[in-house]
Amino acid sequence: MPLSKEDVRTIAEYARIVLTEQELDEMTTYMNDAVRMLQPLREYDLAGVEPTFHPIGNLSNVMTDDKVDANGRALHIDEALKNAASTRDRAFRVPSILGEEGGDR
Amino acid sequence: MERLDLLSAWQIRAGIEAGDFSATEVAQASLATIREREPRIQAFLQVCDDLALKAAAATDARRAAGQKLGSLAGVPVAFKDNMHLVGSRTTCASKMLENYESPFTATCVRRMLDAGATPVGKTNMDEFAFGSSTESSAFFPTHNPWDANRVPGGSSGGSAAAVAAGEVAIALGSDTGGSIRQPAAFCGVVGLKPTYGSVSRYGVVAFGSSLDQVGPFGRSVADVALAMDALVAGGRDRLDSTSQNVDVGFANCLEDPVEGMRVGVIPSLMEHKGLSAEIKEGLEAARKALKGQGVRIVEVGLPNMDSAIAAYYAIGPCEAFSNLARFDGVRFGYQEPSCETLAQQTAFSRAHGFGAEAKRRQLLGAYLLASGVYDKYYYPAQQVRTLITSDYAAAFKRCDALLLPAAPTTAWQFGHMSDPTQMYASDLFTISNNIAGNGGVCVPAGLGSSSGMPVAVQLQGPPFEDKKLLQVARAVERGIAHAGLFEPNTVAPSFVERGGDGA
Repeated sequence: MPLSKEDVRTIAEYARIVLTEQELDEMTTYMNDAVRMLQPLREYDLAGVEPTFHPIGNLSNVMTDDKVDANGRALHIDEALKNAASTRDRAFRVPSILGEEGGDR
Repeated sequence: MERLDLLSAWQIRAGIEAGDFSATEVAQASLATIREREPRIQAFLQVCDDLALKAAAATDARRAAGQKLGSLAGVPVAFKDNMHLVGSRTTCASKMLENYESPFTATCVRRMLDAGATPVGKTNMDEFAFGSSTESSAFFPTHNPWDANRVPGGSSGGSAAAVAAGEVAIALGSDTGGSIRQPAAFCGVVGLKPTYGSVSRYGVVAFGSSLDQVGPFGRSVADVALAMDALVAGGRDRLDSTSQNVDVGFANCLEDPVEGMRVGVIPSLMEHKGLSAEIKEGLEAARKALKGQGVRIVEVGLPNMDSAIAAYYAIGPCEAFSNLARFDGVRFGYQEPSCETLAQQTAFSRAHGFGAEAKRRQLLGAYLLASGVYDKYYYPAQQVRTLITSDYAAAFKRCDALLLPAAPTTAWQFGHMSDPTQMYASDLFTISNNIAGNGGVCVPAGLGSSSGMPVAVQLQGPPFEDKKLLQVARAVERGIAHAGLFEPNTVAPSFVERGGDGA
């Protein structure tokens, strides 16, 4: 069953992207075209075929000591904040998380 | 002085070492060439005169002090604008990151600089690398140096065009579904997507984490090999968990004979309905070039390749959706003003920061990962990935490399490809080796008999055998030059004839 405009509206809300009514119309056409392109995946008999989530199979997480690495990846606080549109002191500044409606959905 | 814009990276390095010219003169020539040609090409989002001149001065000082010069000493290099370089913005050609200053330098960029390269700027791309023509850049399109009415390909179109126009000798790009190889093909330069894991992606803005790989563009296989040696010289990068140890030595095996090697061709691909006559002629020329050097051509199959597009357009958007979730307007990126709640701020920042294609890919990914849908497309796509990988393994038991098209046609004209899913379908020859992870390279094979545009062929090799892959690519390049079809180090002709004053 093709995706309806209302389906796409729900997906856009989940993806946290506000779309205009015109964008929703265009996106609905696109989504259905794109999903049609994926149909060959549904025509396979894939019973018993293991998935490959990653081209290098034997990777594991790289762990380091839980210490500040001042010469490595740790950004100085000014560096970390310099690209933020809104900051206060040593923190990123955001609007109310709960809002007046009482929920950050 | 010589036309510095026409010199290869090898010639620049040697000329600086010999004292024929200084790194500063080369940097100034590159910057002047950029100033002169950019109005027509628009390959750069940012030109970094200060960084370039400072790096060149450092190279000249090293030479004056009698210190050893790096393998890329004084070579002007451009970086795709998804690569962090301190002192520059990293915009991914998106309004989202229009003012984003690189807080650190990507490992791939660092290694080019460590080898002595002169960084001249950041190149245009499809927004967040979503596209095959560089038209989805939020700022402006890049023009193909061979014909300004045509696209340079994408998503690394700026990097390919900058090299083709003689603005720089080498550029780096990233390739998630063909984004190095297809623009290289469209612009008549060499472009390598190394095996996944060969080049660190630390500091490169992520698109599809199981698919992305960084690689170089050059006007010859030799320049690409020189860049690869610099990129892998530092060994495994502990800052990228997918990074693998790869030995240097790309540059010194290029002239080894290919006699006795086997190169596979896939007969069914030649029957593909969208494949143009020009591309078939290019493949035939490459086949002759290889046979003339004692290579045996064998027929092989990749039976699941037809499903690669479907697998890719399930996996890619899902990974993109995950990766681009970080753009919430809080820590970096565009922030919608005057929002009452965080949820509102996030949703409007993303609505107004991302362009149309970035929204499309993310919504597709969001849908495909949804409960109940995941099992229909994403999971089967990863199973089909297993089949495609097995196809390659079987093919490489019978041959050392595969010869196949780079793209179905030469570079198309602006506006020609207006439907997004139609553009996706044009990736069919490049995406399968992002899915499997092995390396691929595009090499010019002449000019199209009807379009006059560069025609390229693609070679793909087994995983982590990219040295041999470049050796075969060099054989194609050599044979094509011998046949009088295309010379290595070619700069797009309009610039050779008319340009160069700046140099």
